[in-house]
Amino acid sequence: MLQTKQLIMWWGCIFITAVLFLGWRGTTWAERVYIDITQPSFERIPIAIPDFKRQTAEQSQLARDMGETLANDLDYSGVFRPLDPKGFLEDPQAVGLTAADIKFPDWRRLGADFLVRGAYQVQGSTLRMEGRLFDVVGSRMVFGKVYEGETRNWRLMIHRFADEILFALTGERGVFDTKIAYVQAQGKGKEIYVVDFDGNNPIQVTRDNNLDLSPAWNSNGTQLAYVSFKDGGAKIYSLNLMDGVQRLICGYPGLNIAPAWRPGSNELAVTLSKDGNPNIYLISSSGDIIQKLVQGFSINVSPGWSPDGRRLAYVSDDTGNPQIYILDISSGQKRRISYSGNYNTAPAWSPKGDWIAYSSLVGGRHNIVISRPDGSDVRQLTHGEGSNEDPTWSPDGRMLAFSSTRGGSSAIWVLQTNGTGVRRLTRNGGGQELPDWSPRVSGR
Amino acid sequence: MRYGSLVRVFLILALMVGGFSCSKTTVPPPQPGFGPGAEGLSEGAGTAGTRGSGLDEAKWRELGLTSEAEKKEFLAKAQTFENQDIYFDFDAYTLSEPAKRILDEKVAFLKRYPKVKVTIEGHCDERGTTEYNLALGERRANSALQYITNSGAGRTNLTTISYGKERPVASGQDEAAWAKNRRDHFVLNY
Repeated sequence: MLQTKQLIMWWGCIFITAVLFLGWRGTTWAERVYIDITQPSFERIPIAIPDFKRQTAEQSQLARDMGETLANDLDYSGVFRPLDPKGFLEDPQAVGLTAADIKFPDWRRLGADFLVRGAYQVQGSTLRMEGRLFDVVGSRMVFGKVYEGETRNWRLMIHRFADEILFALTGERGVFDTKIAYVQAQGKGKEIYVVDFDGNNPIQVTRDNNLDLSPAWNSNGTQLAYVSFKDGGAKIYSLNLMDGVQRLICGYPGLNIAPAWRPGSNELAVTLSKDGNPNIYLISSSGDIIQKLVQGFSINVSPGWSPDGRRLAYVSDDTGNPQIYILDISSGQKRRISYSGNYNTAPAWSPKGDWIAYSSLVGGRHNIVISRPDGSDVRQLTHGEGSNEDPTWSPDGRMLAFSSTRGGSSAIWVLQTNGTGVRRLTRNGGGQELPDWSPRVSGR
Repeated sequence: MRYGSLVRVFLILALMVGGFSCSKTTVPPPQPGFGPGAEGLSEGAGTAGTRGSGLDEAKWRELGLTSEAEKKEFLAKAQTFENQDIYFDFDAYTLSEPAKRILDEKVAFLKRYPKVKVTIEGHCDERGTTEYNLALGERRANSALQYITNSGAGRTNLTTISYGKERPVASGQDEAAWAKNRRDHFVLNY
């Protein structure tokens, strides 16, 4: 029998050195949070990002690419509103990078609250990139940072810099180094892909030539659990992204589906139907059953952990149709939290524990809604623009990725939890679904 | 003073960028239940002969069929067996009266040919989540399995599999298409 050779994927260890320098008179940026984005009155911050300044002749296109990538990152965060560079008055290649060189009144007139100036040098395969954030209103530098690494990793440097800008102004990290796993339909089969948070670099990580479904990241982002039909029925496998090794986690008779790693542990909640009914179990990463979590005569699927790993949101059709429930692991107490409509599925607990997102059938369409874990404060985030399903939270809790048919075939889309900033993430043909957002994994 | 030092150095380990290499992969031969079911058989039955049916002499002996007439009859009935799906209501797995009548025919076939092996596939329409539909598809397959075994056909040669909403036969996004996809499909594995 032919064995499909696995692709090998490694987590390339990329070294980028970064040197931080603080703003004028040593004012610390870390202690002063400029903007409280949790205020309901919050409006996106206007920021100007001209092309980066070329200091060497090589890789001249990077001047624009870096500026555009940074603008895209900051726009994506939902915190900033990058201004259109067409309105900028000066040639970014002609002006220096110090506060003395910058005409702050001009930028104020353009409506910018903040300004980014960047410069770069390419020497051989090495890139040295410097970025500075200026407070236009205060006419001063907030911080500057110098990055050095391989030129081909320029995008990562920009993501790092975007993260620093977000942190400097809001006190919170962004998601610029995260990835999203999803299912790609190709031919008769479906395979697992992983893509950067901004839709760049889609990489196929399974080649099972079969039906692969439901990718789920473990807590440190080194492994994906997923469901595959490659050995007959639905079984749960893991894929180690460090070495590309695939392993069977569990293949009990009947269904083995809906893997969800327990935060901070090697245990998973899964749905197994080995005893006839699809029930939710806690299993080890080698498939041993630790505990039966949800059992009964109804369909029990789609477990989603609370961030502390003590509670589990799941779907049960106990009442005759699928609804969202929450199980307290230690007490065994269960509580229904969705009461609107007769088809609520795919719960995902927010990273801060304050919201649960799920998919709700409203007016014949699946829509993304969020509610508090006690079922109160239900907010509908999509409104019948195609079918919107399977929400997954960004690790900062500001965004949700989900699958939507609003653009025709199913694709992965992202929106802010206030319902704005909708953007399409995947554009390849065939249809994409079942997104799962990775944790932050970079060492800081 | 902690602000005295203007320079801090971070060494950043970028874990989240990967490269990959891949070797050329080979598509495995179609498995039962993957893709259009039992291709070998449909071909043979279509020509109304017993050659090219995918069944060799040993298999015929196992099924207890020796004469050409018996074989032809089997292939014709097998084709009907595989071509007739049973259908379900939205989010339901109870058997309708028309579904039961079709299952009665399948029971008769299984009693007449007790050696055949059958996979019952449960399928759903595209609405709802992948995971819920995998569970619902399993219930649909189990409904048929239960009915067949309750009607006296042996259980040993019957297996079930759920494909949830992953293998639709109709691609539309309306009730006409959805109704065709909410089905149990029956595949003979001999």
